Order: sequence, then C-alpha cells, then structure tokens
Amino acid sequence: MTTPVIEVRDLKKYYKVPMGINCAVDGVTFTINKSETLGVVGESGCGKSTLGRMIIRLIDSTDGQIFLNGKDITHVRGRELKKAREKMQMIFQDPYSSLNPRLRCESTVIEPLKNSGRFKSKAELHEEANRLMDLVGIDYRLRQAYPHELDGGRRQRVGIARALAFRPDFIVCDEPVSALDVSIQAQILNLLKELQQQFGMAYMFITHDLSVVRYISDHICVMYLGQMVEKAPTKELFRMSLHPYTKALLSAIPTTDITKPMQRIQLKGEITSAINPKPGCRFAPRCLYATDRCREPQKLVEVSKDHFIACCRVNEIN
Amino acid sequence: MSISSDVILSVRNLEVVYTAKKKIVHAVNGVSFDLRRGETLALVGETGAGKTTIAKSILRILPNPPAIVKGGQIIMDNEDLLAKPETEMLKIRGKKIAMIFQDPMTALNPLMTVGDQIAESLLYHTDYDRDTALEKAKELLEMVGIPGERYCEYPFQFSGGMKQRVVIAMALACSPDLLLADEPTTALDVTIQAQILELINKLKQEREMSMILITHDLGVVAQTCDSVAVIYAGKIVEYGDKKSIFLNPAHPYTIGLFKSIPSLTEDVDKLTPIPGHLPDPTNLPPGCAFHPRCQYCMEKCRSGEPEYVEVEPGHIVLCKNSEGVKV
Repeated sequence: MTTPVIEVRDLKKYYKVPMGINCAVDGVTFTINKSETLGVVGESGCGKSTLGRMIIRLIDSTDGQIFLNGKDITHVRGRELKKAREKMQMIFQDPYSSLNPRLRCESTVIEPLKNSGRFKSKAELHEEANRLMDLVGIDYRLRQAYPHELDGGRRQRVGIARALAFRPDFIVCDEPVSALDVSIQAQILNLLKELQQQFGMAYMFITHDLSVVRYISDHICVMYLGQMVEKAPTKELFRMSLHPYTKALLSAIPTTDITKPMQRIQLKGEITSAINPKPGCRFAPRCLYATDRCREPQKLVEVSKDHFIACCRVNEIN
Repeated sequence: MSISSDVILSVRNLEVVYTAKKKIVHAVNGVSFDLRRGETLALVGETGAGKTTIAKSILRILPNPPAIVKGGQIIMDNEDLLAKPETEMLKIRGKKIAMIFQDPMTALNPLMTVGDQIAESLLYHTDYDRDTALEKAKELLEMVGIPGERYCEYPFQFSGGMKQRVVIAMALACSPDLLLADEPTTALDVTIQAQILELINKLKQEREMSMILITHDLGVVAQTCDSVAVIYAGKIVEYGDKKSIFLNPAHPYTIGLFKSIPSLTEDVDKLTPIPGHLPDPTNLPPGCAFHPRCQYCMEKCRSGEPEYVEVEPGHIVLCKNSEGVKV
C-alpha cells in the first residue's frame, strides 16, 4: 500500500473561552492519497477552516497526530517545519485580503521562489515565475499589476500560482471559489482540476457549496460542530447519504431544476455552538429523529466500504 | 405606451452612470421592465452587472455624486419616481417600497434595539404612538420566527440568520406593495437560506406583495421567482417567465451561466465556463457587449447595437444571432 500524502488521527483543537471550552475541532480522522481530493463541507462555525489551518500547522493542535508522507509533523519546529511547509500550501477564501496590496503579481509569485533557495540568478527567478503564471493563465499584461487592479478570479489565479511555487504535495483550498461569480468559479474549478491531473497533488477542499464539492472531490467529509458526522466516496454520498444532517443539507440546496418541486427537510433552529458541548450527538437538538440514545457519545462506524457515519439510529432511519 | 392596471412598477429606459475621476462608468444602460402585482422578478447577473444599481435607483438611494441617473422613468401608480422631490420620496421609502439589504450584519444599527429599529418606520409612516408601534414590532418579530420578548435586545445578540429575519421584519413593517430584496440569503448558510426563502415566499403570498429579487444564484431563482431578467453589462439581455428561461434559454450568456454551474444531481467531468471576464464598464465594447466572450459571435455582432427579439411570446432576447444559438 502506498503511503497517503496526508493522514490525520483524532485531531483536536480546543479553545479556552470565558464560558468554558470551545471544542472547535473534536476528533477528526482521515487520509488523503496522491491525486485525490477530500471535500470538507459544513455550515459556518463547524470547524472546517480550523481543521485546514491545523493540518498545515498555521495553528497548533490540542491533541492528535498529523502525518505528511508518513512522517509525523504534529510537533516539528524550526527548520523541519519549514521543510514540511514547503510541501503543504494553502489557497485562501478571500482573494482580496490574501494578497499583499503593495506587491505586484509577479513579485507575489517570486517571493516564495526566493525563499526556496533553488534559484541562483534573477533571470532564473523570473523565468520560473513566468512559467507558473503561464500555468494558471495570468495574461502577460497583468503580471506587473497590483492586486487592486484585478478582479476576484484573476486574483485567485495569482494565489494559486503562489501556492504552486514550492511544487507542493498537498494544498488546502479554503473556500477558493465562494467569493467568485459562477462563470469565473467554473474557470477556477477547472484550473484546479487540471493542475491536479498534471502534478498529482492532494487537495483538501473546504467549502459550504455541495455542488462544487460534488464536482471536485473524490471523497467527502461532512462536519457538524467540530465533529465528522459522515464520510464517504463522493458518488456514494450523493447516491445514498445516511446521516440526517447530510440529508437535510442536501435537501436545502435550491436546484435549478424547475420541473421538480423541492422536497426540503426543514431543520429546526440554527447551528448551536461548540462551547462546552454535551457528550452526545451534537446535531441532536436539531435532528428530526433524536431520541434518548442520541445523548450518549456517538461512534464513527463503517457501514459499507469507506462509508463512515456517526449516528446510532442509522439503521432505523434509512 | 399604455400600462395595464395590474402593473405596479414600470421601469423605462433607465440609464445610470458613475463618475470616477475622469472616467464614466456606464452601470445601467437602458433597462426597461414591468412588474405586476404579486409577481416576483429575479434580476440575475454577475458582480458589477448593475443589478443593485437598478434596485437602488428605484428607491432613489444612490449616492449622488458619484452616481447620476441620466435618463429614463420609474413609474409607480402613474407617477414618475425619478421626478419626485425628496420629501415625497421619504413617504414612499419603507411604506410603499421597502428593501432588504445584502448584508444583515451592516444593515442594522448596532446601537439601537431591534424592536426600536422595526418600530422606527412605523412611527414615521403611521400615527401609532410608541407603545403601539413596539407592540406591532413584537408581532412582526413573531411573524418572522423570533420570540417577541427579544425586541429589547441589540443586533449583536442575534446570529446571522436571525439578523436577516429582523431586516425582513423591518422591511415588511408597513406592508409595502413592492419589496426589493438584494441578495437576501447570500451571506447565510444553506439550511438557514432554506428557512428564509420559505418565509419570504409565505409572506409574499399572504400579502400579495410584488418583489424584485437580486441574486446570482440560479437555484434560488428557480425556487422563488415567476419571471427572470438576465443582466449583462447594465442591460437586460434576456427576459421571460421562469419556465422559458430555464427550459429554453436563448441568449448565449444565459446558456453559459447554466453550463458553468456544477450539478448537484449529475456527475460532470468538466465544466464549461464562460471564457474571459466582464467588460470594463468605463469602456464597453462596440456592438453587443457580450461579443468578446460569445462563442456564437459573428461579424455583425461586433458593431451596431443589438435589438430585442421576441423568440416566443413574452420571452425577449437581446441578440443579433438568436436563430443561430443552440442549447
């Protein structure tokens, strides 16, 4: 068996807040192989971004382990961390605030190249920067422009070029298209897919848009208040979602098919908070099927190959 | 042009420009449409297409300068709103026409309780005293699904979805004839979006209210609207009822929009995006504004303004090549 590019085991992040402890991410386990994409979906506040940032070590984890190409990087520091980070990059949600407004596009891409120490002369640096910008499709005339002169889609391309500079094995894409219009969104999604086919990177794709995730992911992990409630191969999840939350999430999306009226599963109330959670299923207060058994801790069970679910009533509901 | 009696709003050749430094931004370039009582019209288009500018010019709340309404008429109850003095407009805003803004976090005053904010327009437009107005505000909160006793709380004590409900309650306080909803659910999560859309639909039916819904989400359009106007570079490029637009789109831009949405129900190997970007509104291309991105572009599209063609009754499209375009 090949080593997965990224493996996380029982990863946790707790924050101390005045009211107690906020369990932002609470025991997440998964692996991502080369050339594969894991889509992470959930509502705002469910811990998807925290999870992404924790894996590439932008924030420290409270508990659990992170493996990059089989090597434990959970607590590496200094030079070793720098080395690990070269293999992991991130594309951010907001292309307006994730680029330095004072750097021209070319300089933004050159910055990491300089740090890599792979290039001896300025000419080589420029050549590599140009190659990267060709790759992501930034026009020649825009390479000397400042970020404020570009629209969202083009800025996001600069962000992608920058992420590719180190030839990473793993990229965390944190809602990279949610700030873009649909026509531009499709361009960026296609670009990300092409780059993956070309270079075999593993993606962790964080989004709240399930149609985007269906298009780009091989596996999908659904999160609710810091916990994974369901994880399955994309096709399987859309064919047969099992967790009540996944079902509600899927039914809430307005489809463009006007011939079929929507059959919405209405959820009660809103997402609560992960501060001092009770031991049971965190979705229970909004769940249509909640019973007393749901107040006990839920285990993630494999119901069919690669299809995991954390719900004690899965067999009765479906 | 005669306007039939059930039309409550009629926009004719609206033109709006923004002046920025020495450049002129052509934001809205001759938009016309009618809205019937109880109808919901969707304005669909990309960021910068001019959707919000149209809505704001109906309410006359565009900042001037830089925005200048260069021409056109907005007729409601046989009167041109654009010709009215500001004092008259104050009586219309919030009473006959109300607006829901995109971002519920910034649309509310953080220093006022939500009850006071809802009561504010009631106190202005009706002869209620403060106590009756607050009582009414409580009822409105209940109507949008917030416990009435929370009227004395401040916006920061509410979540995003609940703030949007408060904004809706404010807009509906005086039972307006026309509701302008500018991306009312874009800032919200899908499960909350579903709740809010349901609420708007229910209230609309109860009150026979007309609505203009601004959105770029075609899914939301499919679930809530009666007719659709697709806006590109400040012009309506296609207009028709929901069925004709969704089942039989005729403008290359509309077709492109549908093709760029990832499907929720089918597996797609590759999306077909619309190539290129929105044109620079200070320097619109000659001829059809969409021609640089259009795969059906012909020589005649590069010069001369296109004209509206009726492809089926009530379904018009702004394209010179409407016969050549195939889905």
